[in-house]
Amino acid sequence: MAQQPSPRRERAARAAELREQQQRRDRRQRRLVVGVTAGVVVALAVAVTVVITLTRDDRAAEQAALAAPVDGVRTFEDLARDHVAGEVDYAQTPPVGGEHDAVWQDCGVYDRPLVDEHAVHALEHGAVWITYDPSLPAEQVDELVAAAEPYDYTLVSPYEGLPSPVVLSAWGVQLAVDDAADERVAPFLSQYVQGEQTPEPGAPCTGGTSATAS
Amino acid sequence: MHRRHERDGVLSVLADRTTRVVLVAGGALSAGLLLVLGVLLGLHWGPARDVPAAGSVDAGFALDMQAHHRQAVEMSSLVLDRTDDEAVRTLARDIQLTQQQQAGQMYGWLEQWGLGQGRTEPVMGWMVGADVAGGVAGHHTAEVPADGLGSVAAMPGMASDAQMAALAAADGEGAERLYLQLMATHHVAGVEMAQVAAAEASDPQVRHLAGAMARGQRSELTVLRDLLAERGGPVEGV
Repeated sequence: MAQQPSPRRERAARAAELREQQQRRDRRQRRLVVGVTAGVVVALAVAVTVVITLTRDDRAAEQAALAAPVDGVRTFEDLARDHVAGEVDYAQTPPVGGEHDAVWQDCGVYDRPLVDEHAVHALEHGAVWITYDPSLPAEQVDELVAAAEPYDYTLVSPYEGLPSPVVLSAWGVQLAVDDAADERVAPFLSQYVQGEQTPEPGAPCTGGTSATAS
Repeated sequence: MHRRHERDGVLSVLADRTTRVVLVAGGALSAGLLLVLGVLLGLHWGPARDVPAAGSVDAGFALDMQAHHRQAVEMSSLVLDRTDDEAVRTLARDIQLTQQQQAGQMYGWLEQWGLGQGRTEPVMGWMVGADVAGGVAGHHTAEVPADGLGSVAAMPGMASDAQMAALAAADGEGAERLYLQLMATHHVAGVEMAQVAAAEASDPQVRHLAGAMARGQRSELTVLRDLLAERGGPVEGV
């Protein structure tokens, strides 16, 4: 026997159904709001990552590598820059600056020792002077020449009485290494050939003298 | 009716605390990410970021052409001390002063770009694969060593140490002829380098100066060859 639903029960059932509908709608809307918000955040995070990846500044890394201090480089301050005739008593071996001859040494590769006073003038013009002990094996000398060849502001010469087999000097800076294959040779050149230490940027490294010490 | 229900739904969920927290946090996070995105894009495409990098055509050209120019200046200085011939002296002075000044411009670019004069890329590396077919006669291809940074002295058109020594040892018409023939070879390669940079550099200043160099050196080539022919042509065996 089917019971006839009373109007009251019917209203209650209807109300429950509406409430449930409302709750379902709320849940749906809440999921929508949370989902959309999360989607936007994720999309933006992905965009930021993509942009960082695509525009990552390799140049900054390159420049940092170029400008990074080379291990073991010694620096010297307050070097005189006057022109003088005759011999100068230099504090460093080889000299890294100080009074010097009016004529600068022409850049290039020499197989005989140079006159300090001319070489120091070339350092003032931005040259790096690569000196090696006369007893350095020929293949290491070749390596030094190869390291110097990408530049036209380098001097390569033997030097008597060096404190180590190979010494690289620029105005006010010096690096002593035991071997021509030392991995600091190239960075030293890259940083100091016509580098920021140069007292006279733009000055020439030709048109001076190519004479060697007698 | 349906739409009103939906709006009511959204409004009603805003009354829910968790949803509000999610919305506020998500909004703040999105705003922050948008800011980061804007800054990144601004840094990348903004005017301040727009300078050539090490390894670019611009930087390679500025380093290599500078060294190329310096040898032209040296050759011109040598011949100026070795002849009284006014036609050759005028041309030599023109080349000497022009190329010295242009080398200074290239030096200045590299400093401004924060690169300095140091090398991380092989000499002439920027010319590899470049189309130099439009160059003048005497076509050169850039050769880059498999390892190491190469040699400035081995760049196309550069006079060898022996040739420079021969010029330094000569005087009078001998020096003039040597200068003219060495400078002609030097200019042929110079024009090709300048043409590649004029076409492929990214910086408008670089393209502009490189284009001017190509035109200037090409017209000087005619003068060099004419003066050389008037003096009996190239010196044999140099």
